[in-house]
Amino acid sequence: MDQPQPTTAPATPPPLGEHLRSPRLRAAMTVQQEVLQAARDYLRGQAFTELLPPLVGPVTDPGGRGAKALDVDYYGHPYKLMTSAILYKQASLHGFPRLFYIAPNVRVEPEETAGTGRHLVEFHQIDVEIAGASREDAQEIAAGLLTHVTEHVWTAVPDVLTGLGRDEADFADIRAGKYDVHTHAEAVARLVAAGHPQNPDGEIDWAGERLLSLETDRAFFVDDYPKGSRGFYDREDPDNPGVLRNFDLIAPHGFGELVSGSEREADYATIVTRMRESGENPAKYAWYLKEARDGIPASAGFGMGLQRLVRFLTGLDALWQVSAYPKLPGVVAP
Amino acid sequence: MTSLSAPGFPEDAVRARARGGTAAVFPDPAGYGTRLYGPTAATAADALDRARIVPPVFMPERLEKLIDLAREPEFSDVDLTTGVGGFTARLPLYLSAFGSTRAGSGDLAVHAARQAARLGIPMVIGENMVPVHGYRRSGDAVRSVLRARVESYLEEVPDGFGGIVVQQSTEDADSEVWNLLYSDPAFRPLLESGRLAFELKTGQGAKPGLGGMTVVGRAEAEQLARRFTVADVFGEDSGHRLRCATPGTFTDEILRQQLRFMRNNFPKARTWVKFHPGRDVDRAARTAWAAGADAVTVDGAEGGTGWAPGVFLDQVGLPLAECLRRIGSPDGCLLAGGGMWEGGRALRALALGARAVGLGRAALVAVDEDPDHGLERLADALALELRLLVSALGKYAAGALGPEDLWWPDGPAAPAHPTADAAPRDAARPAGGVA
Repeated sequence: MDQPQPTTAPATPPPLGEHLRSPRLRAAMTVQQEVLQAARDYLRGQAFTELLPPLVGPVTDPGGRGAKALDVDYYGHPYKLMTSAILYKQASLHGFPRLFYIAPNVRVEPEETAGTGRHLVEFHQIDVEIAGASREDAQEIAAGLLTHVTEHVWTAVPDVLTGLGRDEADFADIRAGKYDVHTHAEAVARLVAAGHPQNPDGEIDWAGERLLSLETDRAFFVDDYPKGSRGFYDREDPDNPGVLRNFDLIAPHGFGELVSGSEREADYATIVTRMRESGENPAKYAWYLKEARDGIPASAGFGMGLQRLVRFLTGLDALWQVSAYPKLPGVVAP
Repeated sequence: MTSLSAPGFPEDAVRARARGGTAAVFPDPAGYGTRLYGPTAATAADALDRARIVPPVFMPERLEKLIDLAREPEFSDVDLTTGVGGFTARLPLYLSAFGSTRAGSGDLAVHAARQAARLGIPMVIGENMVPVHGYRRSGDAVRSVLRARVESYLEEVPDGFGGIVVQQSTEDADSEVWNLLYSDPAFRPLLESGRLAFELKTGQGAKPGLGGMTVVGRAEAEQLARRFTVADVFGEDSGHRLRCATPGTFTDEILRQQLRFMRNNFPKARTWVKFHPGRDVDRAARTAWAAGADAVTVDGAEGGTGWAPGVFLDQVGLPLAECLRRIGSPDGCLLAGGGMWEGGRALRALALGARAVGLGRAALVAVDEDPDHGLERLADALALELRLLVSALGKYAAGALGPEDLWWPDGPAAPAHPTADAAPRDAARPAGGVA
């Protein structure tokens, strides 16, 4: 059994030098480099091409749950640091129908997330996009990626993991490729039945997600989030209006969300309308909308949080423990 | 007092109240005993003002209060404390948004904020503040107008009362105003005490269907041209330019989803929405409540401090009375703005379903008259009138008011609350009448 998350809020990082010298960070970075190698091997083996993502742009993923982008002055134009390169992933499909990034992201998360153990202002995600794919195709790749990475890490550095207190038996399901699938509505019903006040129209809140994650020994997908809880690029189910063709992949034992993904909206008029529904001014997205008007390939894809994945594998309490240069929400750090 | 004026608005009366407070509710006591009083000559009034407030003879609710108090109830027993969009307000009032016009975004707004805080009523901060005035400059060495208003409010607001509501419109969305505030440590006390709301603005009373408009100088126009449309309507030789914001596009689905996004992305903030007096305002309000809005603000055509084209001010939008009639019995917290400054008009709006009424022009004029206490005195006078009127109706809480408290001389009884004893909508109703 994995170590459950502590019930008290994780401590904040020590001074950077002390943090960098700690044996625990060394162990985590050893796991991280194996994760990166395994992820690249797996995705390249599935005929994906690795691109390097852009760092700034006139617009970035509008984000959600209070996270915001940082502004940079770009020759007098207000540009953003990437919170996610999702829009560039879609645009790149013309030349690269199966692509991935190891993408650095910067999100100024609300301070309330400092205690979740799962949020950093600077983080990386393994960003995957597949032209012509369905949600199920993307889920198969995401699950395959997690299985392959876990298998590789337990093969390559088992001593590091056991040294951190991890039990190989707890990863048997993931290594065997066994995952459960629930809908958002089912997840909400379980939370409400457990006495957790979950908004049925919204994202599963931090506490609710942790509850779901704690009560299972097996990783699981949550499908069909309601429109209004996710970005405009998640495709609405034509057969089930108000429901998105998207998913999260949740790790067991309280480690929470590892992956968010979806089929993407590719129809120009639908994208513009969805932008308005999420309160966005389409004028901000001029370059992207030009691409969409010219025709963006239909696709599905996902982002897997690198630090979240390493934390899950190492069993450490907080993302800052698996980041060499941690920046916690609301905590000013070098 | 500055040079602010409000033609068409009872400016002199508002200024008198800002100076005299509750004394201005009554005739001059110097004339007592030597002058006979009756109704003053009728002044131009809109449909809402033409309704009479009609106390009954038999008052079972007064009997209930008498039993409760074990003495005869008095007007001072009226409880005006009310819930406003998730906040607690000491009076059924809120400080309306002023927008980014010159009159509404300078020192007067800061004075109004401080006094609204002392009164324990919510304050709405208008759209376009950040795109026009910026948010944080020079490493915070210069406080933005928005932050100055927030800080002034926080310094004075009593524990447990009031709240701050920040609008966002199209251009604000470009500046990500809500995101800025939600993660700003300065707003942490508001979030932690549940006293921050975000208001989705779809329109305003003064110019239904139009975005915000202000007059700017040539130099400022050049600075703003990247974020707004700047039109040259005053002639090439004029030093003035017209700065136009876009009104934003809404359908029922866009409204529903934007409200859900607000609740999803800012779960600790209350969700408000403000409508212009559109012909489908009833449908819009119901959609908003169904999507979880904590408050729906309806601005009658009389509303808005805003500078607007004359044709809009005179000819466009439903009067507030008709908005309230169409909405009928509200599904949630309904707030009303439009020409509010004294207790009678406020009471009529409350009787038609509003939980609180907004002070916009009246607040600006009052703080213009006395920056330190003008708005407080105006509100004190209004509150006294409300207490007098509510108790005269045999009731002792603002929320107890209902359509039975009004009589409509223009026609049959107003079917403001269709679930009550109301007539169906009458297609043959006289144009302009509220009934």
